[in-house]
Amino acid sequence: MTATQITEIAGFFDEELAPIVRRMADRPRAQDADDGDGREVRAMVWEGLVGLDALGAPDTVRLAELLGSVLYQGPLLDTLTARELVPGDVLGQEPVALAVTDEPWRERDGAISARCSFVGFAAEVEHFLVSGGGPGPALVRAGHPSITMRRYEEAGRGEAYEVEFAGTPVAAWAGSATEWPAALAGARVRQAAYLVGLAQAALDHAVEHARTRRQFGQPIGRFQGVAFRLSELSMHIDATRLLVHDPGATAHAAACLAAASDLARTVTTRTMQVNGAAGMRSDNDAQLYYRRAAYESVRLGTPHRLRRESWDGRR
Amino acid sequence: MMPAFTPEQDGFREEVCKLLCEDAVRAEIAQSRRLPYGEESGLLEVHRRLGKLGWLAINWPERYGGSGATIVEKAILTEEMIRHGVPDNVHSLGIDIVGNAIHLFGTEEQKQRFLPGLARAEITANVLFSEPDVGSDLASLATRAEPDGDHWRLHGRKIYNMKAQHSDFALCAARTSTGPVSFAGITLFLVPLRSMGVLIEPVWNLSEERFDLVTLDGIRVGPEDVLGEVDDGWQVLGKVLPLERTGLDHSAKAERTLAALREHAPPGCEERLVELETRVRAARLLAWRCVANLHEGRPDEVHSATAKWYTSETAKEVAVAAVELLGPRALLDARDPAAIAEGVFDAGFREAPGLTLAQGSSEIMLFFVATSKLGLPS
Ligand SMILES: Cc1cc2nc3c(=O)[nH]c(=O)nc-3n(C[C@H](O)[C@H](O)[C@H](O)COP(=O)(O)OP(=O)(O)OC[C@H]3O[C@@H](n4cnc5c(N)ncnc54)[C@H](O)[C@@H]3O)c2cc1C
Repeated sequence: MTATQITEIAGFFDEELAPIVRRMADRPRAQDADDGDGREVRAMVWEGLVGLDALGAPDTVRLAELLGSVLYQGPLLDTLTARELVPGDVLGQEPVALAVTDEPWRERDGAISARCSFVGFAAEVEHFLVSGGGPGPALVRAGHPSITMRRYEEAGRGEAYEVEFAGTPVAAWAGSATEWPAALAGARVRQAAYLVGLAQAALDHAVEHARTRRQFGQPIGRFQGVAFRLSELSMHIDATRLLVHDPGATAHAAACLAAASDLARTVTTRTMQVNGAAGMRSDNDAQLYYRRAAYESVRLGTPHRLRRESWDGRR
Repeated sequence: MMPAFTPEQDGFREEVCKLLCEDAVRAEIAQSRRLPYGEESGLLEVHRRLGKLGWLAINWPERYGGSGATIVEKAILTEEMIRHGVPDNVHSLGIDIVGNAIHLFGTEEQKQRFLPGLARAEITANVLFSEPDVGSDLASLATRAEPDGDHWRLHGRKIYNMKAQHSDFALCAARTSTGPVSFAGITLFLVPLRSMGVLIEPVWNLSEERFDLVTLDGIRVGPEDVLGEVDDGWQVLGKVLPLERTGLDHSAKAERTLAALREHAPPGCEERLVELETRVRAARLLAWRCVANLHEGRPDEVHSATAKWYTSETAKEVAVAAVELLGPRALLDARDPAAIAEGVFDAGFREAPGLTLAQGSSEIMLFFVATSKLGLPS
């Protein structure tokens, strides 16, 4: 991705759109809460990003960091991963969700049966890329009657679904079993970059609060107990950012993602602390970063598991 | 430092556990954690049961609804209630803070008026200290008590308090005079909440329990509603707040989450679990050291600050570690059909940030230890 392209996409998320994007997939807990305008906004953002050629981006890691910094939620990151395995002419410009499962799944007569948990935006993608645990990444078309789904009620309040495929026809086998690990490594590095962007945005939010909130007759940011901790976080973000943008990052993708995962939880937890009780309010973005970081930081594996995998991979 | 529990105290713990494990009680607790969104429990039947037995405020004299036992029995009750998942805010606000303040500093008339009802879970109370611009620096509070004959009228806005919607009255800090020393003119009032002149509005937050914005619009209070002396509320606050900071509630919360985590953590997390377990054990020891101090009539503010900091930070760490170790499943709401451990991890994760803020934030505890224990210049 050229620097101009990144600047253009950053410009797309301008001051007016950015706050809407941050909450476009935040569905308040409520009995049968509907999605309000969220889905429409997400579709509009998807069009905007596709229009800016986000799908053809050469430097997807920088793009992912930018998406994290605006807390973008949608199928773009999954779609980028799918496009590493499935040719663009098959997918067109349509959104894809990764449906990864640990459980063994089956293929019979060109149809698959699998149950996948925590699939993002399942209700609004055109394809699923089913992978992990089974014969090999399979692309299936969404909307087939054999697919059932249920949205989770979870702390992230996003669009995470349990999806069951019961004899769903395979549209295409997406690469060989050996190609999947490489694609997964790419996905993990992008997820790590996304978390770095998210952490930076949370830190910016905390810094702003530390500048403006006054207690004991002064801005709380003047207390070194607050200021030094924010500096510390800033340095950790800096370090992790270099890790994820390093050209060798994919070779250490799992470990990199584990580091970014810890970073995002730490930064957002501290952001909550600096914001005081005000940060817990539903209308305050501090709690939004905290909740989203929790979900996004374990979406592609827990840090514990990622580190284990990284270690085992060296043998 | 655990007190050496007497056989009677061990017996009491067993009886409490037995009651809290009854099917009906467990069902009520589970139900209270799965209320429709936007609703939360106030006093439950289990509180009334405990109240009837004289256990809810067991350390208060019988004439005030207690059983004349010690703070150790009270701590056993609190610990077991939290371990068994009884929602604790309504209890800790009503009994541990407001009730205790009245018990220690109230007039006989105030004790008669409020304590038996609180102890029997017939009424409850909350705390109105924080304001939009006043958090850690409570001494700078702006709510005014304006003289009205020999009474006062209260004007101001109190925010980030909890349970106002369920409470009958509140312990409210207001300014009765202004002067060069900000904490000198503060008075504590016992304010009826279900009255004209009090407006309660929800402030929604990420946890299961809402905050309230309470607008005091000229509600009238009299000398009989003053807790302690006029203009001397700071003294009372200085004694009551450290008392509630034993950290026992936090250590019990950490134990509860950890017990569930042990059950659900995937293989390979053992070292992390041992690390957390050890911290939680230390947290519990710090909390019980504070209880022992109180029992011996030697409250120690450095111990309290240490316990508050360590236990709340530990409880928060355990809550966040559950997400780290269990992955997205830990974030499932109790109301989701796939939820694990009745949603304890999700509720704990959303409650966690508040633990190190409420009842004196971590930074305020650190400051206190730096200056009072280590003798660093303030
Ligand atoms: C769950 C919960 C329940 C609550 N219940 C009640 C209630 O029932 N009644 C009530 O009146 N209030 C209640 N509060 C409010 C609580 O008392 C305040 O949150 C607390 O006083 C801190 O104030 P604040 O949140 O405005 O943070 P602020 O005071 O604005 O502080 C923001 C951050 O700066 C830090 N900070 C402040 N001063 C310093 C310093 N000198 N040095 C270093 N760091 C500093 C703080 O520690 C915090 O991290 C509740 C809060 C929570 C989270």
